[in-house]
Amino acid sequence: EEPEAPEAPSAGKSRGGAAAAGGWAWGVVFHFFLVNVLVMGTLKTFGIFFVAFREEIGGSSEQLSWIGSIMSSLRFLGAPLVAVVCQRLGERPTSILGAGLVAGGCLLSTQATSIPFLCFSMGFLLGMGFACLYQAAAVMTAKRCRARLAFCNALARSGMGLTFLMAPFTQLLIEFYGWQGTLLIFGGIMLNLVPSSMLLWPASPRPPREPAENQDQGCSTAKKDPETPGGCSAGSTPREFQLRSAQEAPSTERLAMPHGRDVSGPANPSALGRPQKATPESSSSETSPEAKRSHKPLPATKKEPSQPLLDFSPLKDPVFFIFTWSFLFSHLAYFVPFFHLVARARTLGMSSRDGSYLIAVAGITEVLSQLLSGWLADHNWTKKYHLHVTYLLLCGATNLLGPLATTFPLLLAYTVAFAAFCGGFMALVLPVLVDLVGVEKLHSYLGFAAFFAGTAAMGGPPLAGWLYDYTQTYVCSFLFAGACALISPISFFFEPSAQKWKLKKANL
Amino acid sequence: GVSGTALQKNVSVGNPTKVELTCKLDDNSKLKNPQVTWKRGNETISHSSKTQNSWTVQLTISDGSQLGSYSCILKGEVEVSATFHLQVPKIDGKERPIITYEGDLAVMVCKTEYAPMAWTWYRTNGTELVAINLSSHTNKFRIKRQSANVNRLEILKLTKKDIGVYWCEAAFRLGSSKRSFELRVLSILAPLKPFIAIVAEVVILVTTIALYEVYSKRKEEEGEREFDQIEQL
Repeated sequence: EEPEAPEAPSAGKSRGGAAAAGGWAWGVVFHFFLVNVLVMGTLKTFGIFFVAFREEIGGSSEQLSWIGSIMSSLRFLGAPLVAVVCQRLGERPTSILGAGLVAGGCLLSTQATSIPFLCFSMGFLLGMGFACLYQAAAVMTAKRCRARLAFCNALARSGMGLTFLMAPFTQLLIEFYGWQGTLLIFGGIMLNLVPSSMLLWPASPRPPREPAENQDQGCSTAKKDPETPGGCSAGSTPREFQLRSAQEAPSTERLAMPHGRDVSGPANPSALGRPQKATPESSSSETSPEAKRSHKPLPATKKEPSQPLLDFSPLKDPVFFIFTWSFLFSHLAYFVPFFHLVARARTLGMSSRDGSYLIAVAGITEVLSQLLSGWLADHNWTKKYHLHVTYLLLCGATNLLGPLATTFPLLLAYTVAFAAFCGGFMALVLPVLVDLVGVEKLHSYLGFAAFFAGTAAMGGPPLAGWLYDYTQTYVCSFLFAGACALISPISFFFEPSAQKWKLKKANL
Repeated sequence: GVSGTALQKNVSVGNPTKVELTCKLDDNSKLKNPQVTWKRGNETISHSSKTQNSWTVQLTISDGSQLGSYSCILKGEVEVSATFHLQVPKIDGKERPIITYEGDLAVMVCKTEYAPMAWTWYRTNGTELVAINLSSHTNKFRIKRQSANVNRLEILKLTKKDIGVYWCEAAFRLGSSKRSFELRVLSILAPLKPFIAIVAEVVILVTTIALYEVYSKRKEEEGEREFDQIEQL
């Protein structure tokens, strides 16, 4: 009788908690959406500022474009560092820090008088801020939206589709207030990311009492120590140890720091990840009631070595290489055609209005196809990376056929097909990574993967430009993108064997 | 068609010089052996040289009155013509109004294709153009010569009184060309108002979310305490 009574209220509580957790998941998606809109918007409207800077501050185009390059490449290259910060401080403080960096960078840039100053204030500060925001938002989305990650990710990414509104808005602001006033107002707009970052409630640990009560009925003391997974008596501890040894994750149980609730952040991934993987029947892991309890000092019953500051384990993992290879090439395949689409339209004799029409169509198609792809992937009819590979192959085929499009209708058809397949595979990048490595190590994997993708993103546009200069035609850019898109899924064919290798290694 | 021209062409002439204008007929044109006349307005000019498909006229421009539009007219089955506009070099500069803030510095840059003899800057006073005299306003204006064909006016310590239209004039031997710039001076408060409004909105949102967190945390704690009591019974 006694075990039953506590179970009913706890089940009721977890249901209420699940509802709260569901609500907060939409908050996280909204924040990620906002991050996409503002980050991508700023990156895209940099061209407008470029013109304003060139007129007032002077300097050559090359020097000025450094600012833009630093800003967009740091977004990726800063990811490993940000991953460390996230794991130490938790996602919410990191996100608020990122928002502060971005707003501060904008405000500082209003006082800019020279290009090196702008490189630091606009390039470095904004780039690092974007990296912080992006990493925190992406991982938080992965942690919160377990069941429908692909759709939530696609929904958040659709923010990029709204960025076309930022360009005329920025133009208007510059006409009214000049670039300094515009940057001031931008700083204010970026500050809006602070309250939306606050929506990133730290994920709470799974109440250990639940597995304990399922198995062990005599642990009434467990209620006082929600943080100790094994705090209940011996019944649950062997199970916890079993779980721990089954996985080679070196992540720590908890960091014995007398902080407040945010400490549950780094501890949570491990507590969450393991029970989640081992008990598929568990429903809601992030129950807010448990989150509130972490104000009690954490008992240091199990002091494990805390996670190394910079976790290089992804670099030893073949799955990581599989993912990064695909990520790198798919990013190259994504950026290059968009860069040269308008130019190609122009060389074929179409007006620049037609070109911008193409870009608009591409943007809308991409957003729609992202949503569709995310929704489709969430049904889990097949492994997500199979869909990812299919989209990549189709995208590659489209790009290889791209040079055949010489009239406006054909080019439009190419654009629609290309945008649709790009949207398809882009939406699945994060879910595929989560499928491959799980959520608790997502920070370090995402950090390093973004780092390598960043080097590709840096080299992509100049490479495409060089290709054009060398061959004097844009056809090669499309062939190159097609080749990249076809090379990128090759690594996924090795995924089953890599998993087998990992399991063998774990069982040794 | 007539090659070498887009049926209109601008030729910049700054100093007295000899100019050669040529009209050339495409090989695949329908016109065969047309009648060619060179005209300036209603006046006909005799052409100086002729080959099978091209007709050239040589002009000596020695003063401003000789500038203008010269056209070659080819008459045959169809009539084609091309016009050359001989003008003093135009000035390149910023089209949009220049927006600056009080106390800041405004920069206006004028650039020409060929170097003029002299550069002058003016300010509109009502309907008149008043030349900017450096000696009388040493702390206000600075004129810098970046190169022979690029000239730059800097206006320091801007105030609302400096709002208006400024002109730069490039004087060539054959004439002069002018360009205007509109200067707008805003007070620092202008963009600050929307900024403060946005910051206020952010602060309100942050406080609301923080308060909600504290409130729901307290509610959970109370619920927990009740729950624990039930268990202990």
